[in-house]
Amino acid sequence: MDLNYITGILTLAGINLMAVLGLSLLTGFTGMFSFGHAGFMAIGGYTSAMMTVKFGLPFIPALLIGGLVAALVSSVIGKLTLNLKGDYFCIATLGFGEAIRLILDNVQYFGGARGWPGIPHHTNLLNVVIINIVAIFILANIVRSKHGRNMIAVREEELASQIVGINVFRYKLISLMISAAYAGIAGGLMAHYMTFLQPKMFSLTKSTELTIIVIFGGLGSISGSVLGALVLTSLPEILRAFSNWRLVIYGLAVVIIMITRPSGLMGGYELTPSSMKTLYTRMKNKNKGLPNQMEGGKTI
Amino acid sequence: MSQLLQQLINGLSIGSVYALMAVGYSLVYSIMNFSNFAHGGVIMLGAYFGYYYLTSVGLPFPIAFIASALTTCVLAVIIERGAYKPLRERKAPFLYFIISAMGTSIFLENIVIATIGPTFRTYPEVLSRTPIQLGSVSIGRLDLAMFIISAICLALLVFFIDHTKMGKAIQATAYNIKASALMGINTDLVIIVVFALGGFFAGIAGVLFGMKYTVYPQIGVITNKSFIAAVFGGLGSLPGAVIGSILLGVIETITSGYLSSQYRDLIAFVLLIAVLVFRPRGLMGKVTEDKA
Amino acid sequence: MNILELKNLTKTFGGLTAVGNVDFEVPNDGISGLIGPNGAGKTTIFNLITGVYKVTDGRIIFKGKDITNMDPYKIAGSGITRTFQNIRLFKKLTVYENVLTACHANANYGLFEAVVRTPKCRKQEKELEEKANDLLDIMGLYDRRDLIANNLPYGLQRRLEIARALALNPELLLLDEPAAGMNPDETVQLMTLIADIRSKFNLSVLIIDHHMDLIMGICEKIMVLNFGCKLAEGTPQEIQNNPKVIEAYLGVEG
Repeated sequence: MDLNYITGILTLAGINLMAVLGLSLLTGFTGMFSFGHAGFMAIGGYTSAMMTVKFGLPFIPALLIGGLVAALVSSVIGKLTLNLKGDYFCIATLGFGEAIRLILDNVQYFGGARGWPGIPHHTNLLNVVIINIVAIFILANIVRSKHGRNMIAVREEELASQIVGINVFRYKLISLMISAAYAGIAGGLMAHYMTFLQPKMFSLTKSTELTIIVIFGGLGSISGSVLGALVLTSLPEILRAFSNWRLVIYGLAVVIIMITRPSGLMGGYELTPSSMKTLYTRMKNKNKGLPNQMEGGKTI
Repeated sequence: MSQLLQQLINGLSIGSVYALMAVGYSLVYSIMNFSNFAHGGVIMLGAYFGYYYLTSVGLPFPIAFIASALTTCVLAVIIERGAYKPLRERKAPFLYFIISAMGTSIFLENIVIATIGPTFRTYPEVLSRTPIQLGSVSIGRLDLAMFIISAICLALLVFFIDHTKMGKAIQATAYNIKASALMGINTDLVIIVVFALGGFFAGIAGVLFGMKYTVYPQIGVITNKSFIAAVFGGLGSLPGAVIGSILLGVIETITSGYLSSQYRDLIAFVLLIAVLVFRPRGLMGKVTEDKA
Repeated sequence: MNILELKNLTKTFGGLTAVGNVDFEVPNDGISGLIGPNGAGKTTIFNLITGVYKVTDGRIIFKGKDITNMDPYKIAGSGITRTFQNIRLFKKLTVYENVLTACHANANYGLFEAVVRTPKCRKQEKELEEKANDLLDIMGLYDRRDLIANNLPYGLQRRLEIARALALNPELLLLDEPAAGMNPDETVQLMTLIADIRSKFNLSVLIIDHHMDLIMGICEKIMVLNFGCKLAEGTPQEIQNNPKVIEAYLGVEG
């Protein structure tokens, strides 16, 4: 394997990670499931490509505008659908994602279903890594603030959240908008990496893939999402030799993960220096035969 | 005028096949409260089984038809045992069921691509392609067969649900699974029967679909429309699923007839969102109230 | 002065009247009780006060302000909190996280301030942590602060739910069967705790319970509900001697 190949895989994993991080806030921390985030990626991708190609804007502002537009669209969708319970919100996002794709199929300005070639190549491993670090920093700070705790409360028990004075709808909306902005930026990164956009790239399969990564990494764990994105993006690439069979294995693996280890890789825990220390002391305590108070853990 | 009538007839025919698929989604939803996205994969396999029973095995059409329905019936039950039962036993949240269903669907689609290949296959001609002329309206023999077969199946289903002991058990379980279990209903068996019924109709719908169009691994994408139809009618409601399907079929054929077939799918999804926004429980959906 | 007034409060579900034309006043700084047979509509009244159910008819006045049909989170923010009959904790979070989350209204830093962790945000977070720890200390839960809430013994889960409610600095605390499933010893402890909380936090309390010794022991004013309607209202003495109440609870002899 040559260096270019590895850089390529890592860049792709990084682009996926950006979208996964946003979805992690929505799904892992706020407890809302979306099958339409590929739609937000599409909005961000096409918007930022329009900014660089048609308006000649620099890359970073174009990315941010892409994220912003995705967030604005999500706020409209959210206001309409966030009150739907459980399954129905998922279905609404699914419908939204597919509708975006089908609309883009018919927008000749962006090349329609045939696609849009000739987008400048701006995305590289370095800027993807930097953007992801900033994104993780922002996410981690939100999650450990009162706003993050309120989102987690919404995930745990909506009625109890209301009763302790949390505006459930508002926090769902904030979470959806942030996640859409992240997906939009990921779409922009993808557009300027592939140098080509096609509505087909943002299908239901893509949305499902993102959700699967979040669950695989472990709901409510940012480090889990990072690991999940790295493993699940690079593994299929490395398994290219098996071409057709890799998706068979992938589908089977998803089912097996659901029925055997539904808490994902990290099971709600974070990999941080301090958590490593606690883990170490706990293991030491266990060896001494002290009672382990954390029994049960944070499985979801 | 005759063009509109023509579109209505086509819509009715395609809508009735959607209905066969939609009842599969609705039956499962009514009992287990989740959208079984693996259903599309089962329908796709139904189309393939029908194709191979007719061509490679060389069975006569009616037998091939029933045989593929029975095969998908078994398949649906196997999926329930493998992908959902362990989750049920653990009382996992509904999302895990959906993800498991999506995983199954990816698995089914790709195992077909890996073994049979992604190429399109055309059913041998079972019914003559020359349509029946009724005045200015022409009805395809296949369209007519689709409508009649679907109507018979749905009538049988309604009879089964309303007039057999198992049917009553299904209704009770849909109403309240816990209470039904306490009243001595074998809810595990009810779930098996529900998947078997859904699988059986999926097989029939798959063969009809395969005859009308062609067979290919991504046929499940089209079957997603029947899911939309189930949402239209209200997930969990059988009459809702049928009415929603007929409506969707008619809306689709009219859109492609008068606008453009490119907008057909778009309109389906936009309608889906509109229904959810303005009437979230669909036309006749099951209402569940959150109790404090 | 009354902190809460229910005026002609009515709630129907379809054709069924769960609560019909109930008038009741909860006095300021007092402990009041709400009793009645199962299905009398006690919890429904709590659900109406806290905005969980929409009111069919009538009004709810809190501190002189009409709060009828306000969003539950706004009612909570204005000073009414409650516990639930079938405990609704954030089950998978720790004891400490449960209380810390509920403290949120004591800090007012925005989302952007959280992202860059401004000095204001850090300072307020510290204050929230202190408040949460204080509350756990008062409620005798401090040594179990890192336990997952669901793994607490039943009685302590009820205590935690009260601690979480207190984090909002409520002026009116609604307790829905706080003594359910407790033995007599624990019930006595709970009585002392409720009285302590009332004086320490300077708030009014409204309790639903079936333990008559608890209700009669600490309530200053009691309302009896039967089939959704008010049957009687008064001091514990008056209620105990009211023939209608005796009839509803014991049935008519002969």
